[in-house]
Amino acid sequence: MLGKGGKRKFDEHEDGLEGKVVSPTDGPSKVSYTLQRQTIFNISLMKLYNHRPLTEPSLQKTVLINNMLRRIQEELKQEGSLRPMFMTASQPADPLSDNFREAQPAFSHLTSQPLLPTDFVSTTPLESCLTPASLLEDDTFCTSPTVQHDGPTKPPPPALQPVKDSFSSALDEIEELCPAPTSAEAVAASTAADDSKDHPSESNIQKPEGLLESRTAESKLMDSLPSNFEITTSTGFLTDLTLDDILFADIDTSMYDFDPCTSATGAASKMAPVSADELLKTLAPYSSQPVTPNQPFKMDLTELDHIMEVLVGS
Amino acid sequence: ADIISTVEFNHSGELLATGDKGGRVVIFQQEQENKSQSHSRGEYNVYSTFQSHEPEFDYLKSLEIEEKINKIRWLPQKNAAQFLLSTNDKTIKLWKISERDKRPEGYNLKEEDGRYRDPTTVTTLRVPVFRPMDLMVEASPRRIFANAHTYHINSISINSDYETYLSADDLRINLWHLEITDRSFNIVDIKPANMEELTEVITAAEFHPNSCNTFVYSSSKGTIRLCDMRASALCDRHSKLFEEPEDPSNRSFFSEIISSISDVKFSHSGRYMMTRDYLSVKIWDLNMENRPVETYQVHEYLRSKLCSLYENDCIFDKFECCWNGSDRQVGFMDIVMTGSYNNFFRMFDRNTKRDITLEASRENNKPRTVLKPRKVCASGKRKKDEISVDSLDFNKKILHTAWHPKENIIAVATTNNLYIFQDKTN
Repeated sequence: MLGKGGKRKFDEHEDGLEGKVVSPTDGPSKVSYTLQRQTIFNISLMKLYNHRPLTEPSLQKTVLINNMLRRIQEELKQEGSLRPMFMTASQPADPLSDNFREAQPAFSHLTSQPLLPTDFVSTTPLESCLTPASLLEDDTFCTSPTVQHDGPTKPPPPALQPVKDSFSSALDEIEELCPAPTSAEAVAASTAADDSKDHPSESNIQKPEGLLESRTAESKLMDSLPSNFEITTSTGFLTDLTLDDILFADIDTSMYDFDPCTSATGAASKMAPVSADELLKTLAPYSSQPVTPNQPFKMDLTELDHIMEVLVGS
Repeated sequence: ADIISTVEFNHSGELLATGDKGGRVVIFQQEQENKSQSHSRGEYNVYSTFQSHEPEFDYLKSLEIEEKINKIRWLPQKNAAQFLLSTNDKTIKLWKISERDKRPEGYNLKEEDGRYRDPTTVTTLRVPVFRPMDLMVEASPRRIFANAHTYHINSISINSDYETYLSADDLRINLWHLEITDRSFNIVDIKPANMEELTEVITAAEFHPNSCNTFVYSSSKGTIRLCDMRASALCDRHSKLFEEPEDPSNRSFFSEIISSISDVKFSHSGRYMMTRDYLSVKIWDLNMENRPVETYQVHEYLRSKLCSLYENDCIFDKFECCWNGSDRQVGFMDIVMTGSYNNFFRMFDRNTKRDITLEASRENNKPRTVLKPRKVCASGKRKKDEISVDSLDFNKKILHTAWHPKENIIAVATTNNLYIFQDKTN
C-alpha cells in the first residue's frame, strides 16, 4: 500500500526552517523576538475578547490562550520587572453594553457605547502597530524565554511609564469606579521595538485609549463574567500587578519628547491619561494623520447617542 | 451541517458510521463480496441514516448546545442488532440499529393497510404469518445518558467488559454502566478549586483494550496519564505518567499549544499507545514513561508557520490518528495513519520507517485509480509535482480517519466528503 517513494529530502531544506535559532543576545533578533511576543500577545487578547459565539467557546482553546498570555506576562515581568502593561487590542464594538453603563458613570458618554470613539481612533494606529503574523514568520526565533543579557549592548526593553501628573489622578478616578483589584490595572503590551526607525509611526502611536479600553473591558469582564466563560482567568492573569507597581515605577520624561523617532532609548511607549479630551490631545502630536480629532470624535458621539437610544429604548 | 465530525468502523468492518455537525449519523454497509467481481472488495453503500442529536438550548447559560456528533463507538455485536454510542457535547446516546425484512400479514381485525375491519365481516379466524418485505433498517435510541457533564465531552470509550464505558469532558471523566442512565461515577476530576488556576484540560481518554480496570487520558500539556480503577474510586493519582521532555532547540511560544494531544489510541494488544499532537504522531510503550519509542513527523514544515496558524486558529485543530487493522495475521499494528491539511493524509510504516502522503480529492483522483503520492516542499527549491507550503489550503483539513479492522480499507473524511480507499488487489 505504501509507495516506493524516495526518502524525504527534508534535511536539505532544514536551513530554511529550523536552522533559525536566534540567539537572544543579537540586537536585531532581540527586537524581532520582542515584536513577535508583542504580536502574539495582541492576537491572544483579541482571541479571548473578540469571540462571541452562540455556543460555549472551547475550554481547551481558552486555557491554552490564557497560558500563552500568562507566560508572556511572566517574561515581561522578569525582563522589565513590575512595569505596567497595556492592552493594545481594540476592543470589540460590543452591543452588550449594559455593564458599561453600570460601571462607568463618569465615562458614561464614552463607555456606555460600544467603544466607538476609541475604536475609531485606534484602528489606524492598531493596524500600523500590529504586525501581521505572517510577516514575522520568516523571522522566527526559537529562543528560550529567559533572555540572558551579557551587557547592555541594546537598551533595555521598552517600558511604559506613568508620566503626567494627571495620570495619577486619572488612576484614582478609575479606582473609585472599579474597586475590583483586577480591573484597576491597566493592561497593555509594549509595542515598541528597539529599532523603531523602521516603523516610526508604529512605535509611538501608542494606544493611549488603550487604558480606557482596558478599564471598560476589565469592568465589563468583572461585572458580566460572561456566562459562557466560567473561567475568569482572562482577568486573573492581571492579579499580580498592583496599583503600586504602576504608580511608583520610574517616571520617564521622554513622554514630553514629541519626536517619536529620535528618542535615544528607542521607542517610548506612553501611558496616556484616561479622559477623552486628554486622549485626543496626546494623540494629536503622535498621529501620523492630519486628522482633526475633535470632529470625528463629535460625529461619533452623536452616533453613539443614537446607538444608546436604540439600546436603551428597545 | 454536512461537515463530518467522526468516522468509525464497527468490529467486523462491515459497517462504517459517520457523524456530522448537524447531529446526523450515517451508516454505510459493505456489500457482500461478489465472487465474480474478484477485483474489488465490497463497496460501501448507505445502510441507515438517522438524527442522533438535536440542538438544545441551555437556558441557564443562554448558550446553544451543539448537536455535532463528537464521537461514535460501536459495541461488539451480540445478536442480530447493532449497537453504537454516539455523543455530542453533553449527552451520550445508545442506539440500536436493527433490520426488519419480514412483517406479519393476515391479521383478523385489521386490513393490510392498517384500517380496522368491520367486525361483522369477520367470518373466519386465521393466524397471521410473517412474509418477506423490503429491507428496512431502523434506528432507535435505547438509552440516553444525560446531565453528567458540565464541560464538553471529547471522548467515549467502551470497556473491555462490554458492560461499562467512560465519557470524558475537559475536566472530568465519568464511568457509566450501559444499562443505567440515571447514575454515573466520576473517576477523574481535574477541576481546580479556583478556576482561575486552571492551566490544563483533558483532551482524550480511552480504556485499555484488555484490562478492564485500566484507562488513559491525555492533556493539553502533552502528558498522558494511565490510571487503575482498582487503586481508588477517584483516580486523581495516576499510576503512570507519560511525558516527553521538551526539545530545547525547538522551543517557541507555541511549544505548549503544539504539544497538546488531540487523540490517543491503544494498540490492539494493549502494549503500545499512539498519541497525536499538532505536528507529530508518537508511539509509546506502556512500560516506558519518559519518552515515546517512535515519533513520526506529520507536517514538520508547519513549524515555521506556527504564528500564522495561531492567528487563524488552525493550531487548535484536533487531528485524530489510527492504527491499521487489529485482527490481521500479518503486519500487526505496523502502519499508522493520520490527517493533515490540503486534504492530505499520511501513513507511516513502523517496520520500514517509510511514509507516504496521499490526497483525498475528487479533482485529483479519479475513482479506481491508484493514488499518487504527494510531496510538500518546505522551502524554495520546489521540484515538479511538489506543492509548496504556502499554497496549502488550510481549510481543507482531514481530521478523521479510520482503518478497517481486518482489511486494507480506509475511510478518510474531508470537510464534507467521505472517501473510502482500498489496497489495490491484483
